[in-house]
Amino acid sequence: MSNTVTRIRLAGAVVATTAGIAVLAACSSPAPSGDASAASCEPAKGKVTLQYWNTVPGMDQVVALWNTKNPNIQVQTKNISNDQYGTIGNALKAGKAPELAQVGYDELPALRTQDAFVDASACSAATAAKSKFVPWTWSQSSFGGTGVFAFPQDTGPMALYVRSDLFKKHGLEIPKTWDEYAADARKLHDADPKLSITFFDPNNAEWFNGLLWQNNAEMYGYSGDKWHVTVESDQSKQVADYWQKLIDAKLVRTDLAHGSTPMYAAYQQNQIASYVGAAWGYSMFRDNLPDQAGKWTIVPMPTWGSSAASGDWGGSTVAFMKGNTHLYESVMFNSWLNTDPEALALENKLGGLYPAATAGSELPALSQGVPYYNNEKIFDVFADSSKNIDTSFTWGPTQKTVNLALQDAMAKAAGGSGVLTDALSAAQATALKSMKDQAIPAVAGN
Amino acid sequence: MTDIATRATRVVTAAGSRRRPNGGGPRAGTIVAFLAPFFLPFVLFYLVPIGYAVWQSFLVVRRTRGQYGTSYTTFGGFEQYGQVFQNTEFWASIGRIALFGIVQVPVMLFVALIMALLLDTPLLKLKAFFRVAAFMPYAVPGVIAAIMWSFLYSPQLSPLVDLLEGLGLQPDFLGPGAVLWSAANVSTWLWTGYNMLIMFSALQAIPQELYEAAKLDGAGNWAIAWRIKVPIIGPSIILTTVFSIIGTLQLYAEPAVLRQISSNISSTFTPNMLAYAVASGNNYQLAAAISVVIAVITFVLSFGFMRLTAKRAGL
Repeated sequence: MSNTVTRIRLAGAVVATTAGIAVLAACSSPAPSGDASAASCEPAKGKVTLQYWNTVPGMDQVVALWNTKNPNIQVQTKNISNDQYGTIGNALKAGKAPELAQVGYDELPALRTQDAFVDASACSAATAAKSKFVPWTWSQSSFGGTGVFAFPQDTGPMALYVRSDLFKKHGLEIPKTWDEYAADARKLHDADPKLSITFFDPNNAEWFNGLLWQNNAEMYGYSGDKWHVTVESDQSKQVADYWQKLIDAKLVRTDLAHGSTPMYAAYQQNQIASYVGAAWGYSMFRDNLPDQAGKWTIVPMPTWGSSAASGDWGGSTVAFMKGNTHLYESVMFNSWLNTDPEALALENKLGGLYPAATAGSELPALSQGVPYYNNEKIFDVFADSSKNIDTSFTWGPTQKTVNLALQDAMAKAAGGSGVLTDALSAAQATALKSMKDQAIPAVAGN
Repeated sequence: MTDIATRATRVVTAAGSRRRPNGGGPRAGTIVAFLAPFFLPFVLFYLVPIGYAVWQSFLVVRRTRGQYGTSYTTFGGFEQYGQVFQNTEFWASIGRIALFGIVQVPVMLFVALIMALLLDTPLLKLKAFFRVAAFMPYAVPGVIAAIMWSFLYSPQLSPLVDLLEGLGLQPDFLGPGAVLWSAANVSTWLWTGYNMLIMFSALQAIPQELYEAAKLDGAGNWAIAWRIKVPIIGPSIILTTVFSIIGTLQLYAEPAVLRQISSNISSTFTPNMLAYAVASGNNYQLAAAISVVIAVITFVLSFGFMRLTAKRAGL
């Protein structure tokens, strides 16, 4: 190739790229002048159309019900389950966020750090909604303050799913504490080396966080204008040490990813006798393991001490997004969506949501026995679990990054290099580092 | 090559100097109309995103005070690049794909070459069938191929594992040491046929006279294959190598899918997975810097390889 031609081409590319950079230089966001003023809550004159982005199956039908009842507040839904936070994040960057969007509890601080929300507390209906929700959900949606940035939608209170037939066969009682659970794990494995009490999926930080939450292992706090990172604490180490012992003794499987086909196959082949799961898991077992109908029972999560305590795994809020100029209408719709019995029943039926509203436990579908589970009233167990969840638990502003670091290090421990407490150290270090990268003031420890 | 380029330049210059002999000639409008369909998308969807990534990589996030103080970006020079070079996960991922590439690329290309040579011999029957069969995996999307193989690797589901266990073996395709090679196997399965086809088309273009001349000189089939065919299709082999180097550095789909069933693939297993993980943690600036570094490494390696082999291949 002649050098001249190459050089001309290169020059062209450089010119084009430089021009691109010059154009894009304008995209660098300027330093903000100060905090946004409190949003007002004036009802609009005339018809309003709201955008609501979510990942809930069947949500379009729930919204259609609202739309027929409220001709002046029309809501358009968009399913963003393909890339929930990528879609929301890009829309925010482009200044085109919807009025309302589904945001998981553990992602609320991260999005607030990106200035994603608007405070709806100017609307009296928003502040009044507090009493309608399970306390911890409100505390996380309002960041423990007086602002209202989201309404809770659903939760994942945790419980223990037990293969009662296998437990009975091996002469085991339902475990009340984690110590009893470990003893049962040993007995099951001794009786049948192919049988494990459960599996530990190292790539599932959300699940592990639920276990930490149960043990009051507060991962974050805030005081003196700084975040305090306590991912590594006595409580979290207690949980990590416990599972490490089960892994070391090969009493739990570590080769199954949660929700994967191999996991269901292992359950199908009667190789696993229990499941530490959340309320939304009830339909997973019902739909994927139909031949095991009648063999499962759901009991409270084993506890660390004598007093009842539970954790939460998953669940979401519907957040008021930045740029929302129809707060009044948004509050009305959001309130109906997440507290009205008709809406809650439909969401439970179509999307399998376990409501965050306290009224949810009175829904007919949630107060009856469930055929798959021997007609037991399994939702009573989840309702009790929900009441026993620590309300002061706080998620961090870089939770997703911390979760990935925790998972990568837990996988190493499960693979035999290192232990789970090392994973807590790794997560602690990543929390501090990632917050520094985002210019979020943070220190280690209380 | 240089001759042709020089001659072409001369012709172009000559055309340029014969300006508007009859007041006509190509008008600017015509040039724009012909160039625009290529140039506009090229600028909009290629140069601008690259420029944006480069620009992002020079920014850092700052924040007004407070727990949820508002963030803004400002120029930070090479700060993000410093972070990339200090990032042990990044270098671990580079090391991992270097190992992958050093083993997988030669194995795959050697198999592809042997297959292409076999298809080119008059000895083989059912050529059309073998050609299509070998090329078939390439028609399967990478993600689907990885899902399919993940079922064959999973001890819970795989008939292959059952079979090997029946023979008294204890295979662990998803173990910490093995999983990289399980991913390499998927890539090899996917891409061997494609590379074979490039080499095979080059073989088809060789004039038969060369073989006749070689036979007259006493060359057997082996000698023809290794002394005539392989050197002549050298440029194609180099091309496939460059494609494979680029493909290796951009490795994402296979390990990302296997990660669904094996915790031995971390979120930072390959450089692209690391960039994605960082971006999903809202650190677009660092992700941009990682992407730019991957691009530069890819550029240096592929052009370095081309330069290194240019003489031999007669390019």
